[in-house]
Amino acid sequence: MATKVFDRDTLLDLTVNFIPLFILLFFLVGYFVYNPFKLGSTERILQYMLLATPFVLLAILTYLSGKAIASTEKSSPVYMPGAATVDGAEPIEDEHEE
Amino acid sequence: MQITGQLTLTVLMGLFLVIIAAWLARIEDWRSYTPLGSGGAAGESGYVSQEKPTGISRWLTTVDHKDIGMLYGAYGVLAFVVGGLMIMVMRVELLDPGMTLISNSFYNSLLTSHGITMLFLFGTPIIAAFANYLVPLLIGADDMAFPRINAIAFWLLPPGALLIWAGFFPLGDIIPAQTAWTLYTPLSTGAGGGNQANAGVDLMILGLHLTGVSATMGSINFIATIITERAEEVTWANLDIFSWTILTQSGLILFAFPLLGSALLMLLLDRNLGTSFFAIEAGGTMLWQHLFWFFGHPEVYILVLPPMGIVSYVLPRFAGRRLFGFKFVVYSTLAIGVLSFGVWAHHMFATGMDPRLRASFMAVSMAIAIPSAVKTFNWITTLWNGKVRLTTPMLFCVGFVSNFILGGVTGVFLASIPVDLVLHDTYYVVGHFHYVVMGAIAFAGFAGLYYWFPMFTGRMYQRRLGKIHFWTWMIGSNITFLAMIVLGYGGMPRRYATYLPKFATFHQLATLGALLMFVGGLVWTYNFVVSWLEGPRVQDGDPWNLRDDGMYTNEWQWFQDRQETAITDGGDEDVVADGGTEE
Repeated sequence: MATKVFDRDTLLDLTVNFIPLFILLFFLVGYFVYNPFKLGSTERILQYMLLATPFVLLAILTYLSGKAIASTEKSSPVYMPGAATVDGAEPIEDEHEE
Repeated sequence: MQITGQLTLTVLMGLFLVIIAAWLARIEDWRSYTPLGSGGAAGESGYVSQEKPTGISRWLTTVDHKDIGMLYGAYGVLAFVVGGLMIMVMRVELLDPGMTLISNSFYNSLLTSHGITMLFLFGTPIIAAFANYLVPLLIGADDMAFPRINAIAFWLLPPGALLIWAGFFPLGDIIPAQTAWTLYTPLSTGAGGGNQANAGVDLMILGLHLTGVSATMGSINFIATIITERAEEVTWANLDIFSWTILTQSGLILFAFPLLGSALLMLLLDRNLGTSFFAIEAGGTMLWQHLFWFFGHPEVYILVLPPMGIVSYVLPRFAGRRLFGFKFVVYSTLAIGVLSFGVWAHHMFATGMDPRLRASFMAVSMAIAIPSAVKTFNWITTLWNGKVRLTTPMLFCVGFVSNFILGGVTGVFLASIPVDLVLHDTYYVVGHFHYVVMGAIAFAGFAGLYYWFPMFTGRMYQRRLGKIHFWTWMIGSNITFLAMIVLGYGGMPRRYATYLPKFATFHQLATLGALLMFVGGLVWTYNFVVSWLEGPRVQDGDPWNLRDDGMYTNEWQWFQDRQETAITDGGDEDVVADGGTEE
């Protein structure tokens, strides 16, 4: 299913959110590899949760929104954003299609 | 004696409830008052076809999204004027290092009210004004999903403002709150007595609570409207960027404002009923800051996302081409929405919180800079090789981008813990966030006001005055806020009514910039009032010639349809009798 909805162009659009996800991942790994504070404390767990929670939530929202947009793009005509109900509006060409 | 008093009060209250029950029972058919035709049980919704009442009754009883949008707009602009006048008094006071024009405690009162007024009484409502007026038009809906909730949400605001400003009115012993808008405990619990124990603080908290309830009701309405009321052609793939930002902003409000409400109630209980949520010995000071900023940081994005939406929407119209990387802007808006809940403690780096937690907040704060920067590059790229027309709304959009870069970059430095520890609580922070809230958010608001002025009023403003307004504000805001950043580097602490003489020059510069903006504000007021009354009437539904570039959009189509209908009605206009011969 991933290949159908999340084609190359959609994934390219989603890169914009992959970058903050990568930054979060970078710090998650970074703090794991190098952490000047002692292991095993509650604060250490909280430290990771504060990074992991936004990571997971952002990944979920990116997936859902990407799916919603990409699937409607494929199932119904795409007009210029904000111009769908203009008299005589014509669907725009998808810039990704070559 | 005391028992008799209580008994009387109980009887009175009982009587009051009986009267309300009786009154409710007298309204026979609630459905008949439903403004939506689809809501009527058996075609009883006859009120739909009725004309709106005239005069003041129209505005007091309206459930039309456009009217409510206008009410929000009037309210927001009035609050902006009040907040603006407050800061002018403060800036004049700051011309001189000592206490001259006003007392230090009055300065603190103005400081508190200026912040709350601009954020809660101007920022949120002016966004709601655009959203109410435009979102249903943009998505092809008849009205908001819940028109009556929409009206209630607005009407909670005026009492909210009166409560927030209550201390400034001659009400016996009540004085204005002096807690700053962040209401940090233990100062705001009134534990130390004095001015902070005054009922003015309680009234302000209650007013804040009302505005929070209002914003929450509005957000639920927007979410329901955008998800369920879109026209068939308006899909997720072509939903306009302004509606996307309103949807995201409403999600943020839904999760952030109830928390503020709870925290405010806890604060009220601490102040009045002897509870100890925020007792110092129990770590209450940190608790308040965590609760407040868990709301407070998303609030920043609640305020900035829709203005970003306005700029993303208006700027391409005058660049003659579609927004570059539209979907980048949509996804990055959603990313900001999520990440904004993971950065709150970057306001608290200097509190002595656990360094491990601090490090995580720094990481997320760095990450959230990306989606904001992506938008900025998209705006710049949209302009690149575009057919740029420097109309007043376009100037304000470009001003937004410029100021947002300055506000944003200074913010990235603050996200770094070592830098923040040096600059915390200095004018650097004040300069940074004023670049964003005034330089960017207010600029986008005015871009919107100018862009849709022909639609709101049916008339055109005076272009030259519009441009004067822009340039006074652009120059004025940069003088003021740059001076603040320099003051911050020099170590000038924020919130103080007096300062060391060595800071005088830059404070005077900041005041000069503020005066320039004041003059611009006068020009704007004159322009809008006179143009609204006497400006040239807009002749067609495309005052910006958007059709030439293929940039015509839904709301102007609605405007054109309305104009054509109005002409058919045969008003006092020059009726186009030979309609249809031209084309």
